[in-house]
Amino acid sequence: MANELAALSSEIAEVVERAASSVAAVHARPRFSSSGVFWRPGIIVTAEHTIRRQEEITVTLPGGGTAPATFAGGDAGTDIAVLKVEEPGAPAVLATADPAAGHLALALGRSENSGINATLGIVSAISGPWRTWRGGRLDRYIRLDLTLYPASSGGPVLNVAGETIGIATSALSRIAGLAVPASTINRVIDEVLARGRVARGYLGVGLQPVELPDHQKGLIVLSLEPQGPAAQAGVLIGDVLVSLAGEAVADTDDIQTALELKGVGQAIEALVVRGGAPRTLSVTIGERPGSK
Amino acid sequence: MRGFGEVAERLRRSTVQVHSHSGRGSGSGVIWSADGLIVTNAHVARQGGLEVELWDGRRLPARLLARDVRRDLASVRVAAASLDAAAPADSSTLRPGELVIAVGSPLGFAGAVSTGVIHSVGPIGGMGNRPWIRAQVRLAPGNSGGPLANAEGRVVGINTAIIDGLGVAVPANDAVYFVRSGPRPSLGATLQPVSAGSVIVDLEPGGAAAMASLRAGDLLLLSPGELYDALDSGQPAIRLRFLRGAPSTDRLPVREAVVRLGERAAEAA
Repeated sequence: MANELAALSSEIAEVVERAASSVAAVHARPRFSSSGVFWRPGIIVTAEHTIRRQEEITVTLPGGGTAPATFAGGDAGTDIAVLKVEEPGAPAVLATADPAAGHLALALGRSENSGINATLGIVSAISGPWRTWRGGRLDRYIRLDLTLYPASSGGPVLNVAGETIGIATSALSRIAGLAVPASTINRVIDEVLARGRVARGYLGVGLQPVELPDHQKGLIVLSLEPQGPAAQAGVLIGDVLVSLAGEAVADTDDIQTALELKGVGQAIEALVVRGGAPRTLSVTIGERPGSK
Repeated sequence: MRGFGEVAERLRRSTVQVHSHSGRGSGSGVIWSADGLIVTNAHVARQGGLEVELWDGRRLPARLLARDVRRDLASVRVAAASLDAAAPADSSTLRPGELVIAVGSPLGFAGAVSTGVIHSVGPIGGMGNRPWIRAQVRLAPGNSGGPLANAEGRVVGINTAIIDGLGVAVPANDAVYFVRSGPRPSLGATLQPVSAGSVIVDLEPGGAAAMASLRAGDLLLLSPGELYDALDSGQPAIRLRFLRGAPSTDRLPVREAVVRLGERAAEAA
């Protein structure tokens, strides 16, 4: 008895079957495993919050075997961890188009006992860049209306075509599961493979939003880290920072964004107002002390 | 488009409510044959004195035929003819992502429908090594014993439990086996896994463990998984090594019990 519902059911199952070859189970915490995706040959990404130990991590491969994995690095801010395994695996097929609210979304996971697992829902909201409460920046905010079970964090989120739009995490929002977008994952993998970590930019200033007499917004320097990047560039307490790398800055979030767009070690122009007169200084972005 | 509504409507006619006279709770059941055989959960049909309510409101007394506690299945019979029997699907070919529909009487609402997808199929830690179906469907007490069906309305499993928010169902193939061959051998004991093996917490009077003179508190020197393997081995009797007595610095002697499994299966046939 063929019917359209049965055809849809079978199509969804086929999408799951195809994508399953790039989904692994990750064993790096007590009690629950989590899931991960072969993103590049020999590279598995998963949700950083599910990595509770950095040694003796193992993965259950799509074929059912178990393999050791090494922790290459991670970024708590975007909840992405990068693992290396010997097995090249079958890297996920990444989506080329952005998802839209209302599109069907499938979250896949793997567990050692029962193999691949799937949950179905929709993309419930989408917007531009979004800063997580952990301090990282996602290129897109992709909210999911589907149930994320404990072991499915870190697994791929697929669109109807079976392409991966990101990885699922329950740790970045209290109200819903999110998909960490593929472009953000690519950025983090590049940084982790190059440096072993995601370095956070740092100016060494304490700032407070203020309004200047001409109604322009800016950030007044209230404190200065001695020998910090800003101090070395000649910034003084009392300066009002109005733009950074050519972008107007009105609150501290703007600073974070400007620092992320450039990166540690790069020199950027800081426009400050001192005693009513504008002045341009060149600041070399430092690395936030203590960011591992 | 032939939607869930149509599938649900047919499935409702094959779904019953199972009430126990003791008044404690009710569940659902699946009409397995047109002449009145109904499959439900063992935890729904605990003992005799059952009543089955059909989709059209008819209430019929039901007789308990067999129970398999380990698979949480029970079969009951009502005196009726020309019932709308459900058709089982081959649950061994289920794939994660397939659409499923559950019908039952969650919290007493007869004929309520919930839909979702198959989450995974496989063993669940601490629940033996036979596979269970996990489905992303919203179930509630009262769905127990009711059907989990695929997009064609064929029964793929019997809804049994809710674990971590997921619906858990006994695969239809196990229900088919149970109806045809009766319950799998059971030890007739409630076990608690410990590092050294499994401790007997409670014994079913007249069960295989009680007949072999095992007692509550005995420590069986094998894990529940190994025990289930032994029970499913097809042997008429199994030897179990166990320790008895208060754990102390003294070394307890390892005892052995021979548990006969035959009688149970015979009684159910």
